[in-house]
Parts: sequence; structure tokens; C-alpha cells
Amino acid sequence: MTEPHFTVTESGLMTPEGMYIPGEPPKGIRRIPKGVDRLGTEHLIVNMGPQHPSTHGVLHLIVELDGEEVVTVEVSIGFLHRGIEKLAESRRFDHLGTLMDRGDYVSVIHGEQAVALAVEKLMEIEVPAKAAWIRTLTAELTRLASHLVWFGTFGLDTGAMGQFLYAMRDREVLLDILEEISGQRMMFNYVRPGGVVADLPTGIESRILSFCDTFEVYLEEHDALLGGNEIFQARVKGIGVVSKETALAFGLTGANLRASGLGFDVRRDRPYDAYPELEFDIPIGTIGDSWDRYTVRMEEMRQSLRMIRQLVGGMPGGPFTAKVPKVLRPPAGEVYASVESSRGETGIHLFTDGGTTPYRMHYRAASLFTCQLFEEILPGHLFADACMLLGSFDIMLGEVDR
Amino acid sequence: MWGKGILNGMRITMRNMLRGPITVRYPYERVTLPERARWAVEVVRDESGAHKCTACMTCVRACPDHILDLQFTTAEDKSKHIDYLRYEMGACMMCGLCVEACPFDALKMGQDYELAKLTRDELTVDLLVDVAAAAPARAKKASEVPAGGTDDSRGGGTDG
Repeated sequence: MTEPHFTVTESGLMTPEGMYIPGEPPKGIRRIPKGVDRLGTEHLIVNMGPQHPSTHGVLHLIVELDGEEVVTVEVSIGFLHRGIEKLAESRRFDHLGTLMDRGDYVSVIHGEQAVALAVEKLMEIEVPAKAAWIRTLTAELTRLASHLVWFGTFGLDTGAMGQFLYAMRDREVLLDILEEISGQRMMFNYVRPGGVVADLPTGIESRILSFCDTFEVYLEEHDALLGGNEIFQARVKGIGVVSKETALAFGLTGANLRASGLGFDVRRDRPYDAYPELEFDIPIGTIGDSWDRYTVRMEEMRQSLRMIRQLVGGMPGGPFTAKVPKVLRPPAGEVYASVESSRGETGIHLFTDGGTTPYRMHYRAASLFTCQLFEEILPGHLFADACMLLGSFDIMLGEVDR
Repeated sequence: MWGKGILNGMRITMRNMLRGPITVRYPYERVTLPERARWAVEVVRDESGAHKCTACMTCVRACPDHILDLQFTTAEDKSKHIDYLRYEMGACMMCGLCVEACPFDALKMGQDYELAKLTRDELTVDLLVDVAAAAPARAKKASEVPAGGTDDSRGGGTDG
């Protein structure tokens, strides 16, 4: 048995040389094992990421392990930092969407929508009904595509490989539809202040509806294949319980918050675009474990399908964009607009000084709040469950680091 | 019964096996891109090979990534002569903002998706080189637009 290098005392650490380090080591720079277990063996520090496939991007977790059990976790972010908020200060208001596309790059319409709503609020632009409906339609299609990525990778994290391929099969059809509408498969750059870039292409409605019909069957298959699997259920039920209080304290939004039993949804509580006219339910979980997060997201996909059907069926006529000046020059002021993205509340806080570019833009990314929760939730779980838990929270490092 | 879900999963997997492939066997098969697909920026040319660029610099100013570079010289008779319109394809994010901004419809987003190049230098494309006169489109547009002011807004389209 090796001698422990450090002895933990009530008020600090004692090095083998007898040097006393008072207080807790500062967060973020600690690389030495904090404690020793009952047998006197050192805890193991594992650097998970930033190139770990199951961290869903470039998330770096410094995990302290006692055998298989996680003792402490430090979340280290910033590996994908591109300075989107700073870059926004040199972009025209109608060009901000291209930056937001690179924030949350799996549910991009929501970011564009948040920017557009903020600028519209500031300039008091009234969006035509058709533009609002098209935006909502693309937003819901994107939500489905994004939840399918979560569903597939959650399967991978729990050891179900085939799940990912089935999810990608369905997402492919969605991306084809979105490509036909906007022109690209990932970085749509479709929503602008005042409306959208172009009208829906002819014949897209029937394609969307036929997708809805096939996907409805596939979605139940997905749910039966993964959610019906007893091994999967044994892995996720009761694991990673986030209480209501914790969820509120950490500022969780979206499906992660609703899984904990709190029914806040920006689409219903601060309605925007066409959501006030749509009928949909907000699924709410009970105890906030991984199973609840799974069921809430699966039910959200069903609700998205329901909304897409309503949106295609009731698409109003009229212009697809409001009359807006070529160069947007909002009055000096401050505005906050938020949308319900696939990961929670995506908000844009704009400060303007009357110029053609924002004075300052703050991007509220829901995943950043979820990331901070890991230090609270992961300790006490098995290391194998840590990967599964990361998957269940559905974080997107593009918007965390931005 | 424990295991029922697993058996059901196997049934679903078998059903999916019979559904046939969905992949496109590229390069033996090609996908047809939708009409709006945005790939590399190209210059619109008519049958005679003439372009519509007037060197107004709108696209250069519109590009969020500053990857378009237009150099021109003004001749004695005030006509603009384009030295080059250079395009950094490797840095282009294909957002289409330059095409939207162009008042003379001189640019378009191409549909060629096989854009891989062997060297980095090939990614810098000269869209226009040494064009003697860059004004005919402006004169043509001026004759087309009826008198009575310019349209100052992006304009609201109507459906159908």
C-alpha cells in the first residue's frame, strides 16, 4: 500500500514533507487528490475529455474517483470559445443570425429566432402572421431534429448503438426538409428581424405531413426500442435525481427543469410568434431522475409533431416578412428576448446605442446552467453513470463556450 | 415479465432490417439538391459570358467574415475597371448574405457541392479578373427602373 501524499485535515492539507497548506485549494487549479479512502489508497483523478466522445463536445471534467464512485467533479469549459458575444459587436443586426447558428449548432433556428425577436422588440416591428407561423414551424422541426440527436446519443451513452442510427435516419429527412426551406442543412440563416428570408417552397407541406405520418410510427418504435428496454430502464431510473429546489437554484430551464416537476416553458409562459395560437401540452416529470428527463423529451417530440400538423394545416397567407429597412438601426436601449430552444431558455440581451451594430450582446445559453449542475449531481454516482448522466441532460458545448 | 421489452426491441430491429437501405451510394449515386441549396459563391453570367458586377462594393461590405475582396481602378472617364474580385472559399460559411445584398443580382450561390481542393491556395478563387468595364449592368438597370425613387426596403413578398 502506498503512503498517501497528502493528509486531509479539518482546515487544510498536510504534504508528506510536513508542509501545511491551509484552506481548500482554489477551485479549477486543484490537480491533487483531495482525499484518501478507508483503505488508505489515494483517490484517482481522471480527466474526462475534452476529447471524450461521450462528453458531447469539448467538455472537460476533472473527476475524482474512489474506486468506481465519483467523489468530486470539476467542470472545465471554454475549449470551444469563439467569442460570439464580442464578435456580435461588429455585426449588423440582420447578420447576427450567422453567429447564433454557431452557438447551439444543433437547434439553430431557436438562436436566430431569439435575435430576431430581440431586434423586433427594440424596433417595434410587427411580424406578419405568416412569417411568425413559418418561424414556429421551422423551430419545431429543428426541435425534433435536435431531440433526435439527443435521443441517439443518449442511446450511445447507455450502450444502445442501433438507436443512434435509427435517430439519424429520421433526422436526415428533417434536415432535407429544412434544407429545402432554408438552403442549408445545419446553418440555416433563415430567420431575420421582421420575418424569414424566403417563403416556404411549393409542395413542402405535403412532404412535412408525410414525414409526420412516418415519424409518428418510428417515434413509438424508438420509444419501445430504448425506453421499453428493461436494461435501459434499470440504468436510468432513479439515477441523477435533480430536486425542484436544486433545479431552481441552478437556473435550469427546458426539459431538464420540467423533468423535476416544474412546468415552466417559454412557449407557454412568455409566448412568442405563433405559439399562443397552438394547442400543445407541457409534459412534466415527477422526481427529476434520468428516466423523467427521457420521458419528458420523448413526450416533447410527440407534442412537436402535434404542433407541426397544426402549423402546416393552418398556415395563414400574406407576406413572409415585414417591411424593414435594409440597414437596421434600432434606437438606443436595452432589450431581452427569449425562446424555448431544445435545451431550455435561449435568451438574447441586447444593448444598443443607436448604431448599426449592437453595443453589447449577451447570449443566455441554457446548457451553461446545466453544466454547472454536474458538480452537484455527479458525486455519489458510479463513473459509468456519469457518461449516462451527461447524455440525459442534453448539453451543447457550442452554446456553453460560445 | 422482465425481458419483454428486450424481445420487443428485437422485433423492431428485425422490422427495420426489412425496410431496406436509405443511404445514397455516393459517388455512384448523387443527391439532387433543392433549388435553394447554398454552396460556394459564383458570378452570374449570361449566354455571352458577360457579368453584371458594377464594383459597387455592397457584397464586400455585407460579408460578415470579410472574405470578399474587390479591387478596382477608376479610369479617366470615371468608369470602373475591376482588377479582381477575390473570394476565400475556405473561410466562407455560405450564409448567402452577399447574394442577398447584391443590388444587381451579379452573384449567386452555386450548387456544386464537391468543393474539396488539393492545396490551400486553390481555395482562394478569383471570381472576376481584370474586367475592363464594370458598368453596363448599372446603365441597363437604370433604364429598366421606372422613374420615381428607389425602393428603400427589403420588401415584403406575398405568397403564391
